[in-house]
Amino acid sequence: MFRFIQASAAILTMGVGIAAADVQIQAGGATFPNPIYQEWIKDFGQVHNDIKIAYASKGSGAGIGGLLDKTFDFAGSDAPMNDEEVKKAQAAGGDVVEIPSVAGAVVLAYNLPGVSGDLKLSGPVVADIFLGKITKWNDPAITALNPDLTLPATDITTVHRSDGSGTNFVFSSFLSTQSDDFQTKVGFGKTVKWPNGQGGSGNAGVTQTVQKTEGAIGYIELNYALAQHVSFALLQNNSGKFIKASPESVSAAGEGAVKDMDEDKTLAVRLWSRDGDAVYPISSFTYLICYKDLSYLKDQAKAQAIVDFFWYATHDGQAKAPELTYAPLSSGVQQRVEQAIETITFNGQPLHPPK
Amino acid sequence: MTAAVEFDSEAITHNRRSYGEPAMRCAATASAIVILLMLAALLVVLFAAAVPSMRRFGMEFLTTSAWRPNSLPVLKMDARGKPIRDRRTGMKVVDHYDPPRFGALAPVTGTAQTALIALIFAVPLSLGSALFLVRIAPLWLIMPVSFLIEFLAAIPSIAYGLWGMFVLGPWMGGPARWDRVAGLVPMPAGIESRLSGFFMRISGLHWLAEQQIGGKTVPIPTTGRDILVAGIVLGIMIIPIITAISRDVLRSVPPAQIEGTIALGATWWQSCREMLKYSRSALFGAIILGFARASGETMAVLMVMGSAATIAASPFTAGTTMASTLAGEFPEAATNDLHRGALMELALILLIMSLAFNIIARYLVVGKSARTSAAH
Amino acid sequence: MANIKIAQAKATSQIMYGVCTACAVLIVATLVLITGYLLIIGLHSLNWRFFVNLPQSDSPGMRNSIDGTIILVALASLAGIPIGMLAGVYLSEYEAKSVLAAPVRFVSDVLAGVPSIVVGILGYELIVVPAGSYSGWAGAAALAFIMVPIVARTTEEMLRLVPASYREASIALGATKAGTILRVVIPSATGSLVTGAMLAIARVAGETAPLLFTAVGSPYLVHNPSQPFPSLTLRIYELSNEPSPEAQSQAWTGILVLIALIFLVNLSVRYFTRQRK
Repeated sequence: MFRFIQASAAILTMGVGIAAADVQIQAGGATFPNPIYQEWIKDFGQVHNDIKIAYASKGSGAGIGGLLDKTFDFAGSDAPMNDEEVKKAQAAGGDVVEIPSVAGAVVLAYNLPGVSGDLKLSGPVVADIFLGKITKWNDPAITALNPDLTLPATDITTVHRSDGSGTNFVFSSFLSTQSDDFQTKVGFGKTVKWPNGQGGSGNAGVTQTVQKTEGAIGYIELNYALAQHVSFALLQNNSGKFIKASPESVSAAGEGAVKDMDEDKTLAVRLWSRDGDAVYPISSFTYLICYKDLSYLKDQAKAQAIVDFFWYATHDGQAKAPELTYAPLSSGVQQRVEQAIETITFNGQPLHPPK
Repeated sequence: MTAAVEFDSEAITHNRRSYGEPAMRCAATASAIVILLMLAALLVVLFAAAVPSMRRFGMEFLTTSAWRPNSLPVLKMDARGKPIRDRRTGMKVVDHYDPPRFGALAPVTGTAQTALIALIFAVPLSLGSALFLVRIAPLWLIMPVSFLIEFLAAIPSIAYGLWGMFVLGPWMGGPARWDRVAGLVPMPAGIESRLSGFFMRISGLHWLAEQQIGGKTVPIPTTGRDILVAGIVLGIMIIPIITAISRDVLRSVPPAQIEGTIALGATWWQSCREMLKYSRSALFGAIILGFARASGETMAVLMVMGSAATIAASPFTAGTTMASTLAGEFPEAATNDLHRGALMELALILLIMSLAFNIIARYLVVGKSARTSAAH
Repeated sequence: MANIKIAQAKATSQIMYGVCTACAVLIVATLVLITGYLLIIGLHSLNWRFFVNLPQSDSPGMRNSIDGTIILVALASLAGIPIGMLAGVYLSEYEAKSVLAAPVRFVSDVLAGVPSIVVGILGYELIVVPAGSYSGWAGAAALAFIMVPIVARTTEEMLRLVPASYREASIALGATKAGTILRVVIPSATGSLVTGAMLAIARVAGETAPLLFTAVGSPYLVHNPSQPFPSLTLRIYELSNEPSPEAQSQAWTGILVLIALIFLVNLSVRYFTRQRK
């Protein structure tokens, strides 16, 4: 009996454990980039055997909250920190560095059986749909954009996210730029009050509801739509072209944002409603956030590991992005990211000094 | 209130030498105090977090159903009513921000509705099954059925949420739609809906299919993601608790009680009723535990019910409960003091409501002096 | 006149007999439906690698999560069950001459209804933030918080069902009150007490929200509770939010394994505490 216990204990403890000398980093935040963050952590861990990073996908707000409470060493967030959060961070540990890691898109999934061919929509029309001003699929505003499709007279059921989320933030921000009415009636935020429609919990909930309700339209993340083979609409961008969301059209939006990064002196700029022919209009960055001065960690190896991971994620790791259907950072953005990483210090010394 | 121990055993035994006696008393009392401390810790943390919301909204929190966590910009308008644009950036100028507004009315009514439906669904089924296990089932059937029911208890709440979202919801919003009166007989959809409408009007049940939005009566789209489905899922979740405890409670009714009623000529059902009446205090405890679970469940309701801060009489509308609003919005609200405060205030209201419900219900159902077997 | 009433009573009795049987049948049928669904979807990804591999390997498994759940539930039970049972003993045996009993009973019922995410937030504010890091201890504490009210109330109700004559006889034979409780009252209610404990264990083993803010999960094999700790429920939650169908399939398999685990514990405890005649 005792031998059995010994043997099973030995078997149970086989495998990648955490040795006492390992550097442990606890991070958390946005759920959207979780798949690629886990890939990066795995690959990074294979090169650096003694660095054990753990990322907990709990939501952007929980990520920033953890950073403020210093229970997370770095955070992931789909929405940049707002003024209130920046102030709190400055009180807690000083300035923060927000760098984009990858970009993604929000797409409009719809359920119209019997309509073959891709649906085309524009920003103002989508805003009116979600405001409840357009209630039927064969409304003139929609048919005008889709002259080659016959749309039925079904009622439109809008589906929104019932839980707070960065996707909400991006979508509502986009709609706020497309419609004054939307901006003043619904506004933008991680959680907003939608005037009508059904709520679903998470991408899965929204997708479920859309797929089971005829005539439904809902917003989900691009990589979710692609992985689950959900049909989604083409969206008209600022140049008037109808673009299908893809890693390329999202990266194009990133390049268009570089000039704002220089002007506003921050990398946390909006990626939606960007100008450009090949740009998909509802794109967004997702950010990695940490304090600029990592001296509070009291462990230089840990601080160095964080910076090395950020560097890995935004350079070597970018190669993994397209296969997981994320949009990699364009070169202009990557340059600004490098400059930002070089400002992270420990005891006054930058951890990744410029070459 | 008669105590479990009718006589004062301590007066009789206090002369008997024992070190175990004070130790046991100490340990038991300490554990009871631990429970009070748990509540104290909970109240402290909740109050501390809820202060920003309480200060801002006051009592209005309890009576309004608005729930808007973001601020709305109010644009500066010119004389013609068109928004003014900043000359340099081209962006519309914001006059001021309409601050976020929170109100507990929608989550509170949602919690009440779902918990009520869960109890209505679960209590008869559970008590019936408990009676089955104790009075009907042949010996060889008792073990397997008991285990099967306890198996239901082993299913995690996430699984119930996913099952409700993928199976029950679509079924109740599709093939099992309640308002398909003529659904069994194939006929064109137009006639079917007109027949349903006709039946509902004459039976006075039309309020089930309509709701008020902004003063207008609007038909409710039945999607299967509504309060009824959430209530049924919750009911299934609490069945194991109530059944398992009721089974043990009913099994402990002294055979003499049952035999006595039968000797007096009672039918099977009448003797069952006596059993239920005899143990009503303990059964009530079981039901309260089930109710507690139903009103506090977060994950399953979040996944099954389309959350909407609306209030309607019909259980076929989407709604939200206090626990699911908390669970859904808290991760994102972690840094916003007002939003977080409103959510914590919801938790406080839930606690107070539970307490009030418990006290009132216990008094009504069990009465002042009802106690179980120990008193006999 | 009396004959009609008797006939009515007999008819009612027959009907209710059938109704009760129908209730049990309905519950078992629902269970079969749900379990069948879970089995069909969950068996797809189930293979031996699931139990041996870690999430970061090429064929990801849930070994660390399985270990994590077992350890967390064990730790939580070590605290939650004794405290709960002793509180139940207090409420049942020491109620006379006690001002605490009624309040503690109400508080217990109220605590049983606290949403599990609130318990998680409590654990976060009281344990994680002061310590500066997530830990298995915080997770176990949150789970124990949920267990205590359930165990306390079920213990109380089950002990109440023990006939007073047992206690009287024991005292008459010269035992102390503590001796009576330990050697007469509790042993005669063992089966029912185990029911309460099993209900509590099943409840906490399936909880996600309290662990989200306390143990927070980990992709590594962790057996030290002072570190961020993995759990099956956390891993299932994480996987169910991911887009790829493989991830979701794994989530369902995780649910199946979790149910099997809980059920195994239930069976084995019942076996070891069965009344030997």
